[in-house]
Amino acid sequence: MSKPNKLILERYVPYILIAPALAYLLFFIGYPLAQAIVLAFIKEGGFTLENINYLLYSPSSKFFEALYFTLLLALVVIPIQVAIALGLATLLNIKFRGRNAALYIIILPLTISDVAAGLIWYTLLSPNGFFNKLLMNLGVISEPIYFFGYQYRHMEFLAIVLTEIWRATAIVFVILFAGLQLVSGELIEAAEVFGANAWQRLKYIIFPLLKPSLQAALIIRTLFAFQVFGVVWTLAGRDIPVLAGEAYYEQVELRHTGVAAIYALVIAAMSVALGYLYIKMFRAKYLEAGT
Amino acid sequence: MRFLALSKVHAVIIAVVIIIIVGGIAAYFLTRPPAPTKIIWASTQLCPPEEQAFVKDELLKEFAKETGIQAEFVAISYEDLATRIESEEASGKVTISVIGDLHGGLDLFASKGWLEDLSKFGALSGRTFPKVLEDYSKMHGIKAYVPWMTATYVMVINKKAFDYLPEGLTKDDVIKGTSKWTYDAFLAWAKKLYEETGSAKVGFPAGPKGLFVRFLHGYLYPAFTGAQVKNFDSDDAVKMWEWLKELWKYVHPSSTTWDAMADPLLREDVWIAWDHTARIKDAIVQRPDDFIVVPVPAGPKGRGFILVIAGLAIPKGAPNQDQAWKLIDYLTRPETQVKVLEKVGFFPTVSEATGKIPSGALKILAEGVNAQVSTPDALVALIPSLGPKGGDFKNIYLTAFDRIVNKGEDIKGVISELAPQLLKLFEEVGAPLPPPDA
Repeated sequence: MSKPNKLILERYVPYILIAPALAYLLFFIGYPLAQAIVLAFIKEGGFTLENINYLLYSPSSKFFEALYFTLLLALVVIPIQVAIALGLATLLNIKFRGRNAALYIIILPLTISDVAAGLIWYTLLSPNGFFNKLLMNLGVISEPIYFFGYQYRHMEFLAIVLTEIWRATAIVFVILFAGLQLVSGELIEAAEVFGANAWQRLKYIIFPLLKPSLQAALIIRTLFAFQVFGVVWTLAGRDIPVLAGEAYYEQVELRHTGVAAIYALVIAAMSVALGYLYIKMFRAKYLEAGT
Repeated sequence: MRFLALSKVHAVIIAVVIIIIVGGIAAYFLTRPPAPTKIIWASTQLCPPEEQAFVKDELLKEFAKETGIQAEFVAISYEDLATRIESEEASGKVTISVIGDLHGGLDLFASKGWLEDLSKFGALSGRTFPKVLEDYSKMHGIKAYVPWMTATYVMVINKKAFDYLPEGLTKDDVIKGTSKWTYDAFLAWAKKLYEETGSAKVGFPAGPKGLFVRFLHGYLYPAFTGAQVKNFDSDDAVKMWEWLKELWKYVHPSSTTWDAMADPLLREDVWIAWDHTARIKDAIVQRPDDFIVVPVPAGPKGRGFILVIAGLAIPKGAPNQDQAWKLIDYLTRPETQVKVLEKVGFFPTVSEATGKIPSGALKILAEGVNAQVSTPDALVALIPSLGPKGGDFKNIYLTAFDRIVNKGEDIKGVISELAPQLLKLFEEVGAPLPPPDA
């Protein structure tokens, strides 16, 4: 081949290489997204605000409640999960006997579907369930503690938080644990030599190096939090509405396809916005730039 | 290329062979014996896979053996059925011989003149249809369908609850559904159970997939206001919501998460429950000695309850109508009806079938259902057929419940805000108000 030809080829190689990925994204994300927008805003060939109006103003719509609870749930669950996962990851970073077994046990809930997890906890916490029976037999309580029902919405919320923590902390843990493995022991040793205490080592060495993993974990976890559905649906029904649950209800029960599409778009928009925010916030300053 | 070099002789041989094959096939199709009569039975009921298998492998095989008529069962959604019938009737090329659908759908078809008047076939011998079913099946001046199956929602009572009956109410009143078995008596009972056992013993399937909404529009509304829809925001309705708010103090709080009552009954979370017969069947099958099925209480305007009626009809101008009538005859026989009850849990429409049900859980259920239909103050409500707007219809009652009972909003304010929306639904679809309103 002649020289100019080669140059041209080199110029287009990157595009050719990303073309399959791009096609994939366009087909599996771009197309459904466009479809959702059409469903939400086009009716009989014309632009319509009917679905938005229903969402915001109809007495049947639970949009604001759903938005509130979805955000609240994310706000409560994610920090707890990150804290627990971080703690567990640092703990398991120390080598001890049975470490592998412990790892597997922690990850186990991850293999269970969210609806199944919801059902397990529903059975555990129901008035005649294991938890209440145990406490009653121990004489701690004489009346069962009610976790479910509209009158006990705060308890339902607690049950959801418990289940979510039990079920989904593992995914944060896995990512952080993997990140922790990458932190070079030499750096920590060096810090020790210079007299850094445990907290200082965590703050100045481990945490900065863990930032990329933390970012990934937070993005994934937040996306999941915005999509939370199965657990809430099994534990609280529509007592505690969430965005994904309302999308399902509007589509399947009420056949308001356009409204359901808006819910989906809202979830997507929130996810994108938060993903962007995380990436900005956690831009890692690599200590060993270039390696 | 070689192919082009084919000799003339070869070409002729190939052509002859092709002509013989094509001619043979054509001759076979033209001269083969006519296929046995095949009729198409399109149904919106019994559509889940296991129910379809039962229809195809048991019911229709038996039918074919007996009559030599092949019936093809086509499971179809209500929307698809309506579209298909409409286009077939418009073009005059009807292919469906029998339709199986709910009362509401058949009502619409009959109103458009798409159904044959079945009175021309005469009566079906050896079976009696209860009057209420017979009456409903005649509409728009014709005998539009033959009642095929029914389903309803009943109350199940754990026998332990009878130890806590309130003053003035006896076990017999409840089982037979006498005039003393009222919603006020029910409230007193629920209250007494709560006070004496220390926990709420009444439960409803008010979860997101539960059928509690049917209790609101098909039981409470008719019982308190005499209608499902038209008195939605009347003063009687205000009294009804006040009653429900009071009752809800003694209703198991987890009700809002329950979709079916069989499990809560078996766990003994509750002793009194209301639900669809199919959704409490498990409890009775597992412990037939502990539970009893009873009619629902009556309100000031009567004993409102929903009867889901499925009927069999013949489209106007349908092919093979005599064979179609034979299929209807077969499906409404007491023996076939008992088989359907045993396999899929729909109740018979002919009185003779009740005597043929073997004792056990099904008998307990069937007796309860029968007692409910036979109460003198029965006020039958039918589910309106609003097609795709059916979800909105339910949601209005659920929203009212959520705001009045859960959130404690002002009753009059909520129902007068929602009433216009409810009526608008019927206007948009052009559907008549469901009985007992109309």
